[in-house]
Amino acid sequence: MKKTMVAMALVLAAPAYADGALNIYNWGNYTSPEMITKFEAETGIKVTITDYDSNDTALAKIKAGGHGFDIVVPSGTYIPIFVGEGLLMESKPNEMENFKHMDPQWVDVEFDKGRNYTVPWQWGTVGVTVNTAIYGGDINTAAVIFNPPEELKGKINVVPEMNDVMGMAIHYVGGEQCTADKEVLMKVRDTLQAAKPNWISMDYGMIEKFAAGDVAAGVNWNGASFRAREKNADIGFGYPQTGFPVWMDNAAILSDAKNVDEAKTFLNFIMDPENAAMLSSFARYANGISGSEAFMPEDMKAAPEIVVPAELKAAAYVAKTCPPEATKLYTAIWTELQK
Amino acid sequence: MAESKGFNIRRQTGFATIAVACFVLLYLPILLLVAYSFNSGSSIAIWEGFSWRWYQSAWENELVQEATVRSLIIAVWASLISTTVAVLAALATTRTRKFKGQGAVFAMINQPLMVPEIVTAVALLIFFAMIKVATGYSGLLYLIIAHSAFCIPFAYLPIRARLQGMDLSLEQAAADLYATPFQAFRRITLPQLWPGILAGAMLAFVISLDDVVITEFVKSAGQDTLPTYMLGQLRRVITPEINAISTVLIGISVTMVIGFTLLSKIRN
Repeated sequence: MKKTMVAMALVLAAPAYADGALNIYNWGNYTSPEMITKFEAETGIKVTITDYDSNDTALAKIKAGGHGFDIVVPSGTYIPIFVGEGLLMESKPNEMENFKHMDPQWVDVEFDKGRNYTVPWQWGTVGVTVNTAIYGGDINTAAVIFNPPEELKGKINVVPEMNDVMGMAIHYVGGEQCTADKEVLMKVRDTLQAAKPNWISMDYGMIEKFAAGDVAAGVNWNGASFRAREKNADIGFGYPQTGFPVWMDNAAILSDAKNVDEAKTFLNFIMDPENAAMLSSFARYANGISGSEAFMPEDMKAAPEIVVPAELKAAAYVAKTCPPEATKLYTAIWTELQK
Repeated sequence: MAESKGFNIRRQTGFATIAVACFVLLYLPILLLVAYSFNSGSSIAIWEGFSWRWYQSAWENELVQEATVRSLIIAVWASLISTTVAVLAALATTRTRKFKGQGAVFAMINQPLMVPEIVTAVALLIFFAMIKVATGYSGLLYLIIAHSAFCIPFAYLPIRARLQGMDLSLEQAAADLYATPFQAFRRITLPQLWPGILAGAMLAFVISLDDVVITEFVKSAGQDTLPTYMLGQLRRVITPEINAISTVLIGISVTMVIGFTLLSKIRN
């Protein structure tokens, strides 16, 4: 009992780290433990990871201050907010040694042009999942959702994510993301309204239903589609030629970080292809580092959900936060759609 | 009781149906969650067979271990502190002459029950952030203080109920026999109050152990508790490991609540 009390009292004392500590604030279950072990072994820096469950929670805590974190990993859509609030340090990853490994495709992203603040952590796509045993045609088109062939009618699920679905539909009718052009949006509304009778549901968590064949097509995330294919080899993942959204989470150093040197070492570390591959093998998404494929597990190297075909890369657009006037119109269309 | 002529809710039409529906809605999801914690597959929706593998994997998961220890440390401290405060508060609100503003005091003690948790959480986040910046200290103490604060009413209510149910004549007799107020408390009140104190402490312990919202906002680097760890898993695939941890947490809570009920029933 006495021992326990002493131990408990010890915990109360502030964690008195020697120098060489790093506090990472990241989404839960998203940081490869093997990669952290390797980082600690190579650098002697002791890493502590703390979880959050949403960009908003992370933003609120960091804004309040006194959090003690050095690194945060927000989604691309939140980076402009973090930067605008002065929460991120301009740590210049673009001048770091391993920056040369970053895939040029991800250097000039809109939320951090030239990468002065952030380093890609993981990224994924929103595309279409199709059971190819049921429909054998071309799946690299949003038409399987918005103007479905006979085989797929009544077997389609659309994830209830307004921005992703609206973005895909806007590009499908020939618009650009975040457009407030009413003519385009009228077309979007008509397309969605006409397509809806062919859908069976607008829901999350479809992995099992795809695997069982209850749902044969849907707007879906690549990671979820990947896991459905692991259960049913007929599940294919298509990238709409007209345009598909890409999301990306990015590591950045906080402006009030205490362990700045350690944090910079870490950003440089995760730009190394071998280390980036460790992140991917754990979280099962692509990273933004060229040459990391070589170090990935076999099942990911050639996975159609991870590797975007070269001819479709141009159709990818990095999702951003739309201005309020556009969002207002989208919400109206979306609400009408969900009735 | 059996043949009372008055209004009896249990005789109203539809009573049984509503009661059964309520119990099903309350317990079926929990039963499902518990059932899938024994799933041998990695799905939380498709049954593949019985296995203990998720309990084993949770047991061996270092992050779960650390979070569990942290949760327990916080819960033990929070229940000790809140129960001590609650005993003092209960004595001050039952063993004194009625004073002006007693109602207000009662309301203030029970404030955490009334104020939405998210409001308390945001207020604590801002307040503690200021202290953290000013002092540079970011240890577990903040979580312990926060938990102690919102656990007080849960400890207070059973203790106060016990005090109100206790016969005053023993304490008066002690006073008549020249016992000092402290002696009377030590020898007469406290021994009778024990079941109430233990019940309050157990309730406070469970409440602290289960807290998510306030902890999520107050925690500093490296201070995930078991519930905030579980919350963090939500963005990615949930495996039955979370079900296994939940089942153990439910087990602890149920045990504590049963203990609480038994203790509250002890008569003098």
